[in-house]
Order: sequence, then structure tokens, then C-alpha cells
Amino acid sequence: MASLHLNAATTAPSQHTKYPIVTGTSVLGLRYDGGVMVAADTLCSYGSMAKYKDARRIRTVGPATLLGASGEYSDFQSIMDMLEGMEQQNDNFDDGHSTDAQQTHSYLRAVMYQRRSKMNPLWNDLVVAGPNFLGLVDKIGTTYTDNFIATGFGSYLAIPILRKKWRPTMSEGEARGLLEDCLKVLFYRDCRALNRIQIAKVTEEGGAVVSEPYEIETDWSAASFATTKGGLEGDGGW
Amino acid sequence: MASSGSGYDLSPTTFSPDGRIFQVEYASKAVASSGTSVGLKVKDGVVLVTEKILTSKMLVPGSSRRVHGLDRHAGCSITGLISDGRQLVNRGREEASNYVDTYGIRSPPVVLCERLSSFAHYFTLHGALRPFGATAMVAAYDEDEKDYSLHMIEPSGQAYKYYGCAAGKGRQGAKTEIEKLDLQALSCEEGLAAAVKVVLQMRDDNKDKPMELEAGWCRDGKYSKVPDGVLKDAEKKGREELEEEEDMDEDEDE
Amino acid sequence: MAALANSFLSPESSRLKPGELSTGTTIMAVPFPGGVVLGADSRVSTGTYIANRTSDKIAQLSSKIFCCRSGSAADTQALTDYVRFYLQQWEVETGRNATVKVAAHLMRKICYQNKDNLSAGVIVGGWDEVDGGSVYNIPLGGTMIKMDCAIGGSGSTYIYGLTDALHKPNMTKAETVAMVKKSISHAMARDGSSGGIIRTCIVDESGVEREYIPGNQLPYGP
Repeated sequence: MASLHLNAATTAPSQHTKYPIVTGTSVLGLRYDGGVMVAADTLCSYGSMAKYKDARRIRTVGPATLLGASGEYSDFQSIMDMLEGMEQQNDNFDDGHSTDAQQTHSYLRAVMYQRRSKMNPLWNDLVVAGPNFLGLVDKIGTTYTDNFIATGFGSYLAIPILRKKWRPTMSEGEARGLLEDCLKVLFYRDCRALNRIQIAKVTEEGGAVVSEPYEIETDWSAASFATTKGGLEGDGGW
Repeated sequence: MASSGSGYDLSPTTFSPDGRIFQVEYASKAVASSGTSVGLKVKDGVVLVTEKILTSKMLVPGSSRRVHGLDRHAGCSITGLISDGRQLVNRGREEASNYVDTYGIRSPPVVLCERLSSFAHYFTLHGALRPFGATAMVAAYDEDEKDYSLHMIEPSGQAYKYYGCAAGKGRQGAKTEIEKLDLQALSCEEGLAAAVKVVLQMRDDNKDKPMELEAGWCRDGKYSKVPDGVLKDAEKKGREELEEEEDMDEDEDE
Repeated sequence: MAALANSFLSPESSRLKPGELSTGTTIMAVPFPGGVVLGADSRVSTGTYIANRTSDKIAQLSSKIFCCRSGSAADTQALTDYVRFYLQQWEVETGRNATVKVAAHLMRKICYQNKDNLSAGVIVGGWDEVDGGSVYNIPLGGTMIKMDCAIGGSGSTYIYGLTDALHKPNMTKAETVAMVKKSISHAMARDGSSGGIIRTCIVDESGVEREYIPGNQLPYGP
């Protein structure tokens, strides 16, 4: 441990980011017939506080790539700055080439892995989508691609639903409906989730488009809400 | 040339007794022998047109470019030595990118051009360096002031802001033609047509080497290359108009 | 003891070094059409001792851009010094008045790049020719978010509900000032680390007005 810097004031070893501060929760992505969709809510939490309710966590990178991020929002902002700089370099060459989703995914893997190897990770799980691509990169540089992907709480709550309901032949409308259903469950069961969401799609014809934020309807009419048993019938009453 | 043999033209670090720096003037000569370039600031944007002289019939069309993008809001044309010009282009891109990283906004055109001119000027200050044999015309949009501008950076490091400017072989004649235009009444398309025509007008097709036109414009807040089809149409129209005018002149002579 | 005391502090203050001054604070900035109102309490503490009861936590970055500071007093003073310096350079190079967007971006950049060594949560607000009145919040990690109503510091946690209820889009200047004063009063009443007087700073095209409300005349209560 000789290489660790010592802080004179506290004699504690100097530390890099070991925890996130302003965080976004789950991001979902799925393939459908004709393209790929990504969905997330617009909340950024400060610890348990729902602090920023209009934080856009899905962005376009170039004409046909979507990037969705959960985790530290400042790191996501800096990743976006980096990618936008690279996209500008592409545009400057003006040869018609732009980095596609698969290349972006691969590049982000290298960046995330290098940062974690310097013990200074970028605290994000990233979903990368292109017209015919859907992949994930996590904060330590692990990657995979799949027909549907969910980060954070979504990997517990949305993945089981997606496993049951997802089909490769889903229409755009069906895909949107399924993602909204998943986000609704996340809103019901994730303390860091919000029912104000954005859904983005990327297709061969239309490129990448992110919707404006909108609220999804929620249902609070379950029988157990209407008639509380107050612990009288032996159900624990919570 | 009066300067040659005098010993005052061997380095940009030496002034001549009458206060000139011959190396810088020679660099300007390199620009003056290049194809004609024209820049026009019009009603709703800026247009850059340049004549790329083809040194060989085996050149692939569109190669060895003279018009380049610097950033989302800025682009430039190169007159003179293409490789010297690319040095300016690379520096311009670097400056523009650093500016966005630092300040979070696109570089104001004046700032970008001042930095480019400082770069060009630096090469006139050292004995170990040679001034650039290239002039850059920068078309850019100011995202804060919502305003377009045209600057020209010369080998000396001089950089002025223009309504219209010209460089290269036909610059004198081109300047005369540009002064006749009512620039504030022209749209980008009309500006392109006018600039193309001026460049063509400076040529003598019987004597001059074959050439290719290149053009870029800054409009709707963005810089882009002029699409090949649009430029081809403007070139065709320009040639037709010039021919008509020539015929009329001949008629008058008779 | 120190651990116990720290557990009651806001995230900005909990990472202070022993003996470091904290602006355990309530700060706030709200834009209105044509301008912006910034406000802050005036208490600076070391532990439970009030080191300064009339401090000014609204630092000036340029003629019409200000910054509300929270967290370590030393860190936020150094930060504002840097941003003020860079903005002056920017103004000289461009020959223009600085914009809030550029000021916030510079602040964000320094906060993000030095996040491991800083405890600073700031709000940058002001008026410029390009965007009119605008406000950006830059909390601990160096995130930057544009806001319609930004609050910060340890006292702000007590008034999230109040500001959510009081803030409406397109309020007049007078309404905005009243809202800021009332909100900070309520935070000062419940946060032990906030107190003293309320300092406000109203910025619009015509200029800057600085006011204060003495600690015994706070608009607290219904």
C-alpha cells in the first residue's frame, strides 16, 4: 500500500469516488419488430431525497444511437460531453461516417473498464441502443447484449416481466405498452422511481428519437387498499 | 525582386530597413498564386466558395479538400498551400473543441478567429519557423448574439472581419465584382450563385488549368458543406450567365 | 462525539475536516421573468459555535452573476475566486458581459474535476442578455442542473415542501422576493445551523439590489 497518497490533515488515504451522490434509477431497453426502445423516468435522487424531477437520462448520440444512464448524473453528463466531442470530430471530417451504437458500446466498455482499473470508476450503468443493437455497459466495464435489458431495480422487477411478455415480433405499440407496464411496477416498488418518464426509440428509417417527459397513469384501487383489515384478520396488518 | 540578395529576406525575424518582413510577403505570394476564393456575408448566413486547381487529370473528384468544418457553428476555406491550410484547420478544430469543453458554449467567431490569427502570427516571430503559405476564410455563427460573421486570416496573422472578401489569383477582380453586390439583399442560395459566378468570371478557360469548385455555408445557425448537387447547379447557372453576358458584349462591339 | 454531531449534518457538511468552518446553511435562488432573486441566511459555524452571525453567503462572480455557497467556507471561497477570475478573463477576451450559463459551466467543471477533495454545494444565478434570469444548481458531485427554484444547504431540507407549494411559474419580482424571504425564514426557524439575518440579492436588466432582513424581523409564520 506504499503507493497510496496520504492526506496530511487526517492521515487517511486519499480516496476517489466510492459512492454516487446524485443518482438516477433503472433504465430499460428492448428490441421490437423494426427497432429498439429505451425507457427511464426523469428523477435524479440526492440520497433518499427526490431532488431533481426533470433530469433527462436518455440522450441521443449522433443520428442513430441512444444512451440511457442510471447512477451518478454528473458522470453521465461528463460521458455525454465526451461523446458529443467525438461526434463533432466525425462531423468535421464530413465523410458521411458516424460512430454506430455497437462502436459506441465497445468504446464505452473500454472507458468504464479503464476508469475502474484506476480505482476511480464512472458510477453508471449504461444502456446503448441502435436500430439493430441493444447492449449494456456497467460501472466496471462488464458488457452484454440482449433482446431486453434493465439496470438497477429494473433487473429485479422488470426482467421477470420482460421474460414473460417479450416477443421478437412485438409491434412498436406493444413494445411501448410493455415498457410503460414495467416502469409502472418500478414506480410502485422502487423508492427512487417516479411516474414521469421518457421513452425513446431508434429505427433504421427514423434514427434516434427521445420523447418529451410524460406522466403514466397509476392505479390505487386494489381491494386491499379499499378495505384495510387493520390487523384484525391475522394478515399482519402492514 | 528588390529584396532578394539583400539578405533581409532570409528569416521572418529580420526587418528590412524600410520596415518590411519579406518572408511574410513571400508567404502571401504563395496564397496569391492559388485558385480564387470568395467569401460573402449575406442576409441569412455566410457563403464560402473556392476554386481548387487540378494539378493532374488523374485526381479523384472531391479529394484534397479546401473547405472544412471546424465545429457545429463554424467552417473555413483554405487558399494557398493546402497542407499549410490544414495546419490552420486542425488548430481551429482544437481551439473550438477546447472552448466548448471549458465554457460549455460554442466559441464566439471573433474569439475563434483571434486565436487562429495568433497561431498564424506566431509563425512569423521565430527564426526556426516559416509563415503559413495559406489564408483561411472563416464562416461562423455566434450562438449568443444570433449573428453570422466572415473573417479572413492571412499569413501575417492579420485577421479582419468582412462583408465580402477574396483571396488567390483572381482576388483583385473578384473584390471589384463583390463590391457591386447588394449583399444584405441576398439569400444564401443567391449568395452562393453570386460567389460562384465571381470565381468563374476570374478564369480564362483557354489558359487556366482545369479546376473544381468547393463551397461551404453557414446558415440556420449551422455550418455545412454545400451539397454537391446544389453547387453543380450554381456552377452551371453561373457559366450560362457569363456566356450570355459575353455574347451581349460581342453584339455591342459589332 | 464527532461522529454523533456529523450524523445530523447535511451531506455537504458531513465531510468537513476537524475544525473546518462550515456554512451550515440555507441558500436559495429563484428566477422570474426578467431577473432572479437569490437569498441566504448568515450563520457560519464551527461545530455548535457560531463563528460569524452576519456573514454574506452570496458571492459576486461578475456584475450580474452571483453564487450562493454551502458546505466548506474555505472550499466555496476558493471556488468562487477561481470562477470570478475565469469569468473576468472571458469578459476581456470576448468583450461581452459574462453569461450565467458560462459561469455555471465553469463552476461545474471545477467541482466535478475536484469532487474527491471538495465539500461544496453551490447555486449560480444571475441575469444576462442571452437567457435573461436563470439559475443553475451544482450539488456535491458536480452535477449541473438548470432550475426554476433552487434551494440548498442543511436548512433547505426543512423547506422542500414549502417551496414546492409556494413556487408558481411566472411570478412577479415582488412575489418572488416574498417567497424567498418566507422560505428562508422557515428554514432558519427549524435548522440549528442556519440563522442570523436573511440576505437577498435581486438582479435584473436594470442592475443589482442587495437587501437584508434583521434576525428579529423575519417573515416567519402563516
